[in-house]
Amino acid sequence: MYTLAVDVTYTPAEYLWKLLPLLMAFGGVLGVVPLLVYLERKICAFIQDRVGPNRVALLGPDGLLPVLIGVGGKAPRLLAGLIQPLADAVKLFTKEDFMPVGADKFLFTVAPFFAMLPPLLAWLVIPIGAPATLPGMDHPMPLVAANLDVGVLWVLAVASLSAYGVALGGWASNNKFGLLGGVRATAQMISYEVALLIVIASLIMHYSEPGYNGLSLVDMVRQQAYVPGTEMARNAPWGWGIFHQPLAFVLFVICAFAENNRLPFDMPECEAELVGGYHTEYSSMKFGMFFQGEYIAMLSMGALTATFFLGGWHYPGFGWVSHWNANVAALLSLVAFGLKVLGFVVFEIWVRWTLPRLRYDQLMGMGWKILIPVALLNLVLTAVLSV
Amino acid sequence: MSDTIVEEHPPLPKGVVLAAGNTEQTWLEKLYLPEIFKGLGNTFKHLVNPNKFTIDYDGTDLKNPKKAHIPRDGYRGEHYLKKDDAGHVKCVACFMCAAACPAECIHIEAMPTPADWKDRERAPKRFEIDLLRCIYCGMCEEACPVDAIALSSTYNVVSDTREAKVYDREHLMKCGEELGLALSHHHYRADGVPGAVPHKTGHH
Repeated sequence: MYTLAVDVTYTPAEYLWKLLPLLMAFGGVLGVVPLLVYLERKICAFIQDRVGPNRVALLGPDGLLPVLIGVGGKAPRLLAGLIQPLADAVKLFTKEDFMPVGADKFLFTVAPFFAMLPPLLAWLVIPIGAPATLPGMDHPMPLVAANLDVGVLWVLAVASLSAYGVALGGWASNNKFGLLGGVRATAQMISYEVALLIVIASLIMHYSEPGYNGLSLVDMVRQQAYVPGTEMARNAPWGWGIFHQPLAFVLFVICAFAENNRLPFDMPECEAELVGGYHTEYSSMKFGMFFQGEYIAMLSMGALTATFFLGGWHYPGFGWVSHWNANVAALLSLVAFGLKVLGFVVFEIWVRWTLPRLRYDQLMGMGWKILIPVALLNLVLTAVLSV
Repeated sequence: MSDTIVEEHPPLPKGVVLAAGNTEQTWLEKLYLPEIFKGLGNTFKHLVNPNKFTIDYDGTDLKNPKKAHIPRDGYRGEHYLKKDDAGHVKCVACFMCAAACPAECIHIEAMPTPADWKDRERAPKRFEIDLLRCIYCGMCEEACPVDAIALSSTYNVVSDTREAKVYDREHLMKCGEELGLALSHHHYRADGVPGAVPHKTGHH
């Protein structure tokens, strides 16, 4: 039996501090998304031997300030290219918000929210840093917005909600390409969610040690960061899930790509066949929300991969630093977690510009005929080995 | 007689394997993952490759290949009108270019030459090319019997207004001057038309 967190009494200061991880997670994610768009365009360009966006600057001939207030036009380019996301955002906000004839107005408007919010909600239960003793507290608080006992279930629940975004978007826009994209997205996400669930089931088995709640993401990271049974912080990364569940790691990453609808599994968008897939008819900020949703989903998947397999916020040498000063260790753990998430996202971008798209039947065949059996094998192996 | 057609392929160069011929996959290749990482390695090489195809174009130095694109010889860009040795426009207002133009963008008005132009009787009073209609086919250059009009390699042709893209006689002559191509022995014809001097071949 696991104790629920409701019987813990908080001081007012603690209640306030509880907001900190929430703000850090949401603020961090929403702030990083525009940079990811820039990163994607830059990495894409470099892989194709181009230079990518390097014109829109703060100062200089094409600068933002010269255009807005008319100063600094003669200066050398400052932050060249990095202002591009801002220009993109202005463009998205000022474009015509178009609704096609015959579109279902309510669903058409609601769909982008379903695409953007669920991946963001997953961040509620993801521990983003090591426990820290903040001013006004007498014990360390895990840096997580909501320390749910069933964090994994929460993540899966909101992850499957995002399938509604693409399905509804495709259906409501009264467009055959949109509908095809939406249908493909739904089929793909549901298929790959099966394999994902089985992989996560074996993870839950792996992390359900005595004294640990295998369904809680906080406990998962605790096991990777501390020697189980003691509160001794680890220095080496040998507790990380990737060393205990390597097969699950590979399967999870493949499924994560499919869940994010990223290449080589970007069937729902599939520019060559479906124009833009489910967001063909979307413009302005409604498209912007789909776009943001895609990048937030990438970040969420990166966070989950880090939490499940890469030690969450744990980093080599954590033991020493936390022995010296727990709060400094917590601060570094935030950086470590951010780097892991960003690393995963960069990997996803890198793969996108490397691999071609799979055919639809190949995609489904791989999901059902390869990934699910291998995931089941991994589940059985985990069950046998952890007895 | 046999109905079957046997296609004969020329022998492949040494070391080249047809992708279709390589149907046998080893089990390692069937796993895909090692091959995917090979591909990732390949793209990573490009990711860190400092030699990009992109030119840092600033449009200021059109002779510098690091700052501008240098077109091949025979590239058909902006038009210019040539001058004869006396410095007059070479054109004799014969309307051949206007007749040859498929886009009908050349408008000429003829006038009798002033008394001191001894070599011909007609010259253009008005010579306008509407570059917004022009398709840069070079037919005017081909049609010209006196080699007066030619297409330069100037490709950065932008302006703020539509009116500015209708070039008149003076502007067309100035285009040639700016390029240093105004003298009559400069041209881009290599088809052996009388009077044409084959221009030297490119160096790039």
